[in-house]
Amino acid sequence: MGYVDILGPYFPAQHGDNPNAIRFIAEASPPNPHSSARSTSSPMAAFASTSPSPAISASTWRMESLRAALPALRPSASAAIGAGLRPRKQAVRLGASASPFLRSSFVSTSSASSSASPASVSSAVSASLAFSYTSSFSVESSFEHRLFGTDVRGRILAMRHGKRIPRLGRPADQRKALLRGLTTQLLKHGRIKTTKPRAKAMRKWVDKMITLAKDGSLHKRRQALGYIYEKHIVHALFAEVPDRYGERPGGYTRIIPTFPRRGDNAPMAYIELV
Amino acid sequence: MSRFVDPLVVGRVIGEVVDLFVPSVAMAVSYGAKDVSNGCHVKPSMAADQPLVRISGRRNDLYTLLMTDPDAPSPSDPTMREYLHWIVMNIPGGTDATKGDVVVPYMGPQPPVGIHRYVLVLFEQKSRLVDGYASPPADRPYFNTRAFASNHELGLPVAVVYFNSQREPSGNRRRR
Repeated sequence: MGYVDILGPYFPAQHGDNPNAIRFIAEASPPNPHSSARSTSSPMAAFASTSPSPAISASTWRMESLRAALPALRPSASAAIGAGLRPRKQAVRLGASASPFLRSSFVSTSSASSSASPASVSSAVSASLAFSYTSSFSVESSFEHRLFGTDVRGRILAMRHGKRIPRLGRPADQRKALLRGLTTQLLKHGRIKTTKPRAKAMRKWVDKMITLAKDGSLHKRRQALGYIYEKHIVHALFAEVPDRYGERPGGYTRIIPTFPRRGDNAPMAYIELV
Repeated sequence: MSRFVDPLVVGRVIGEVVDLFVPSVAMAVSYGAKDVSNGCHVKPSMAADQPLVRISGRRNDLYTLLMTDPDAPSPSDPTMREYLHWIVMNIPGGTDATKGDVVVPYMGPQPPVGIHRYVLVLFEQKSRLVDGYASPPADRPYFNTRAFASNHELGLPVAVVYFNSQREPSGNRRRR
């Protein structure tokens, strides 16, 4: 036979296996390790090859086991892997680190491979992992909880130490929209009543807007127009801020706590412009 | 932080309306069934009629009560500070505001924009004031509590309470 079957011993044919199952072995190509290595690293190409031959019965890859072994190419795959890694209800995606510990534990807990990770499988997994990392780096606006966070250097962090951005229970786009709306309303009404964490998160943005108005140039006005939803408020702000806050060096808001909300006992607060 | 800060200071009532004072008389204000405490929220519809204001004090003392809005027309732009809502004079101690002489009739809160504070201030009079009838404040807006107190020799207040009120959204507005 003119092929090299690297993955054979690790995926023995199961009883009642479909003889027409996808063969992962490059049958037509001449026997060199490079071609088979290439084919193992591109699972998409392997899916397309469907030439069954009953003589090749040593190893048969089953579609389910192959799919389960490879991570995060489709959301359903990642859900299965996440469920395997940890008993969580939400789908879990791996952090951005490609440490060997992660790789081996990932492979060992998947249902497909029953043995320790061989070199070729791990190379296939790592190549796919690298592929999935580039895709998962794009920000998904969902409620997925990351198993590990990372800091700027790329180290894995399991805790929230030192992270000062209030998340307000929302993904980043909704959070920004909420804060934009709240600052617009505060600048319009002068005093609003909201929950205490939102009031505390707002302070930074209200102070930023007033600082832009204190500067007063056209560029700052356009920056303020890009943040505040109603443009007449921006123009009124730029008109009156120099008189009102000209001498005050910051701290343009005040938060007064008040009675909790009846429906959910949320701590409420008034935030007002000083 | 267990240090207690007076809610009147936190709500900037002391400072913008009155000066720092020592409360000496107990005052209980209630709109119907709702008792007013510092900083509580009262709807304008509930506050349309004048409240029941009960005060302590000795029977032969006379007190003056007034109600103003320091956030008129808008808290971020209080150009009409303060807006006068009510003045009652010559209230005997230990009774309520109906026993006094109304100098400026009660007007309910009607905040156009934002959340307004409505402050009820109680002064102790030195003597029965008759000239309150002769010179009531001309206008409701541009009122000044401190100037009024010094004009009538009322001194520092003896009791202050304030509540918040906000314009109720009209119910028939069609939501897109």
